[in-house]
Amino acid sequence: MASAIAQQAAALCTAQAPRQQTRSAAKAFVGAPVQRKQSILGRSIVQSSSKQQAAPRSSALKVYAIRDGATLDRPLRVAVIGGGPSGACCAESLAKGGVEAFLIERKMDNCKPCGGAIPICMVEEFDLPMEIIDRRVTKMKMISPSNREVDVGKTLNDKEWIGMCRREVFDDFLRKRATKLGANLVNGLYMGMDVGADTITIRYNEYKEGDKVGTPTTLDVDLVIGADGANSRVAKDIDAGEYDYAIAFQERIRIPEDKMEYYKDLAEMYVGDDVSPDFYGWVFPKYDHVAVGTGTVVNKTAIKQYQQATRDRAKVKTEGGQIIRVEAHPIPEHPRPRRVKGRVTLVGDAAGYVTKCSGEGIYFAAKSGRMAGEAIVKYSEGGKKMTGERALRDYLDEFDRKYWATYKVLDILQKVFYRSNPAREAFVEMCESNYVQKMTFDSYLYKTVVPGTPLDDVKLLVNTVGSLLRANALRSADSKSVNVSFGSKSNAEKVTAAA
Amino acid sequence: MPVTMASLSSVSARTSPSPAVAPRRVVCASAPSDNGAGSSATLQKDRKPSPLQRGGTLQGAAAAGKDASDKFKSMAEGKQRSGPVLQMVDGRFSDFRWTGGRWDLSLFRDPKTGGTSWDAVIDAEMARRKLLEDSPIACTNEDPVLFDTAEIPWWAWVRRFHLPEAEKLNGRAAMVGYVLALGVDQLTGVGLLDQQNSFFGKVLLHVAVFGILLIRSSSDVDRFKGLIDEAFYYDKQWQSTWEGQERPSSDK
Repeated sequence: MASAIAQQAAALCTAQAPRQQTRSAAKAFVGAPVQRKQSILGRSIVQSSSKQQAAPRSSALKVYAIRDGATLDRPLRVAVIGGGPSGACCAESLAKGGVEAFLIERKMDNCKPCGGAIPICMVEEFDLPMEIIDRRVTKMKMISPSNREVDVGKTLNDKEWIGMCRREVFDDFLRKRATKLGANLVNGLYMGMDVGADTITIRYNEYKEGDKVGTPTTLDVDLVIGADGANSRVAKDIDAGEYDYAIAFQERIRIPEDKMEYYKDLAEMYVGDDVSPDFYGWVFPKYDHVAVGTGTVVNKTAIKQYQQATRDRAKVKTEGGQIIRVEAHPIPEHPRPRRVKGRVTLVGDAAGYVTKCSGEGIYFAAKSGRMAGEAIVKYSEGGKKMTGERALRDYLDEFDRKYWATYKVLDILQKVFYRSNPAREAFVEMCESNYVQKMTFDSYLYKTVVPGTPLDDVKLLVNTVGSLLRANALRSADSKSVNVSFGSKSNAEKVTAAA
Repeated sequence: MPVTMASLSSVSARTSPSPAVAPRRVVCASAPSDNGAGSSATLQKDRKPSPLQRGGTLQGAAAAGKDASDKFKSMAEGKQRSGPVLQMVDGRFSDFRWTGGRWDLSLFRDPKTGGTSWDAVIDAEMARRKLLEDSPIACTNEDPVLFDTAEIPWWAWVRRFHLPEAEKLNGRAAMVGYVLALGVDQLTGVGLLDQQNSFFGKVLLHVAVFGILLIRSSSDVDRFKGLIDEAFYYDKQWQSTWEGQERPSSDK
C-alpha cells in the first residue's frame, strides 16, 4: 500500500517535472535562484536550490561500484579517443604519470585541414623539435576591404616567429612520443561506449595490419577522454550538446617560384564583406605551396562565393598556380554546453576550445589534453587510486580560469572589428601602430593577456574610438554595411540579415 | 639681349607659376625699371620687377581666366589636373587625384580659401570605399594603398559629421525639454525659471538631455537591447558546463 502511494507520488512528481525543469533550467542558466515545487499527495513542498541539489544529469546520484579514491590493484585505465594534438598530449601526460593510456586513432596518416600555425610558446612547452616546423613566419600582412595593407610583425625580434607545420607530420610526432612514453596506440574507429557500474566498455573497430574493414572489439576502461575533434562521437554519446561552428574552406595552390619567394616567411589576412561576413580569408605558406582559404559561421552555404572572392583578392600574387587539394572542416565557435559527464570528458576541438577572431585551436587543444591528463594523474596519485568526475571538473575549472581572459578579449575584438566593413577598415588602421602590434604578438606568442602601460592603453583607446568613428563616417548611405545591429540572433536570422 | 633671354628661360623653368607670387630669384634686369600698368603692386621694394611682370601684364584676379585650357596647363606643368574620376580601369582603381596609393591633397584645393578642401577629400574616400566594396579588386604589390584617414584633420570630421547631428539632437532635446517644462508648470505651478531651482526640474532636465544623447531615434532602443544580450552571450556559453554544479575554485 505504501509503495503504491509512493509510486503514485513519484508519477505525480515526474509528470510535473518536465515543464518545471525547462523553466528552472532556464532560470539557472541566467543565474537566478531556482525554486522547485513538488507536490506529493496534494501538499506543496518548496525546495530551494542549493549546491547539493542534484541536476538530473549530474553524477551525484550515480553510484559507482568502485568509488573515487579507492585503491586499485592495477593501474588506472583511461581511453583517449582520437590521436590528434589533444589526444596525443593527454595520452603522453597519462603515460608519464603511470596511468595506463589507450590512444585510439582511426587514421594514422590523417591530414586534417588546418592552417597549421603554432605559437612559439608551444614549441617550448611541448618540446617540439625544429624538424616538424616547415616555415617560420615573421611577417604578416593585413589587408582591408579597400586594399589598404599593413605590415604586422615589425616589432618581432629574431627569436620570435609563428611556426607553420604540416598536420600529418605534427600529429604523427606527438603520437609517436606518447607511444614511446608508454601509451598504447590502437588503430581503430570508435563506435560507442557502454557505461557500466564499475567500468566503461568502449566499442571500436580495430584495423589490423592491411585490413580495410575493422574488426569490432571492446575495451574496458575506467575513464574516457573524448579528443575526436569537431565532429566528436564521444560528445554525442555523452549528450554534450551542440555548438555553433564555422566552416573553414581552403585550397592548396602550388605557385611559381618567384611568387613563392614573396610568401617565404609572410602570411596574409584579408578582411572584408566579400571575403567573409564574420571571419577572414588567408594565404598561409606551407612547405612548398600556399593555402588560400576562408571561413564563415553565419552563411555557410555561400562559402564557395567567399572562397572565390578570396582567390580574386590574391589573384595577382598567386597567378599561375595549380590547385593541388581542396579541403574543408568545421571549426567550433564556443565550448559545448556540457563538457563532462560522469567519468567522461572532452578536450580540444571536441570540447570547442577554439578562439574567436583568429580561430586558433592547436595550442589550446594540446594544452587541454595535457591538463586533463595531469589532473587525472594527480587525483589518482599516479594511477594507484580510482578517480572520476572530481578530477575532470578540476581540469575544466583550471582550463577555464587560466584562459578565460584570452578567449574573452578575442571575442570582444571579433565583435567590435569584424562587424562591418568600416569596422574592418578601422581594425587594419589600428594595426598600423607599433603598440598594437607588440601587444597582439605578445599575447599570441606567449598566451598571456599582457596588460601594457596605462598611458599607452589610454592613447590606444582614444585612437580606436577615433578610427571607428572615422571609418563609420566614411561609409556611404547606401552601403551594405549600414544595417549593423547587435544581438545574438539565431543563425537563420543572421543569414537573412547578411544576404 | 643675352641676359634677358637667360632670365626668361630661368623663369619658365619654374613649375606652377602663380601670378600673385613675386618671383623668388632676383633676375638681372638690364632694362630700365619703369613700372608698367598694374605690375608694381606685388613687387618687393628692393627688387626690380622682371620683364614678365611689366609691360601690360595683368596680375591676380585681373589675369584670372586668361590661362590656356586645363589640358595644356597640366601638360605644361607636368601634373594631371583632370582625367578619370573614381573609375575601375583594368581591374584597378583609377582617379587622377589618386597617386602613389594616396590622395594627392594638392589637387583638392578649395578655390575660396586656397587650402585643401577636406570635404572633397572625404567625399572622394567615401566614394572609393563604396566602389571597392561593390566590386572588390585584387590586392597587388605594385599599387599599395597607403592613405590613412588620420591625414584629414579632426576639425574637418567634426564640422562635416558631428555638427549637423549635434544640431539635430540639440533641437530635439530643446523641444522635449520645453514640453516637459510646460508639463511640470501645469502640474506643479512652478514657472519655467523657478524649475531650474527645484530638484525635480533639474532631474527632468538631465533625463531629457542624456536620454536624447543615448537614444537618438526610436530604432536605437532595439539596438541597445540587443547589445546587452550580445555582450554576455559568450560568457554564458562558457559557463554552461558549470550550471547547477559546484565549481572547484568557488570553494577557495
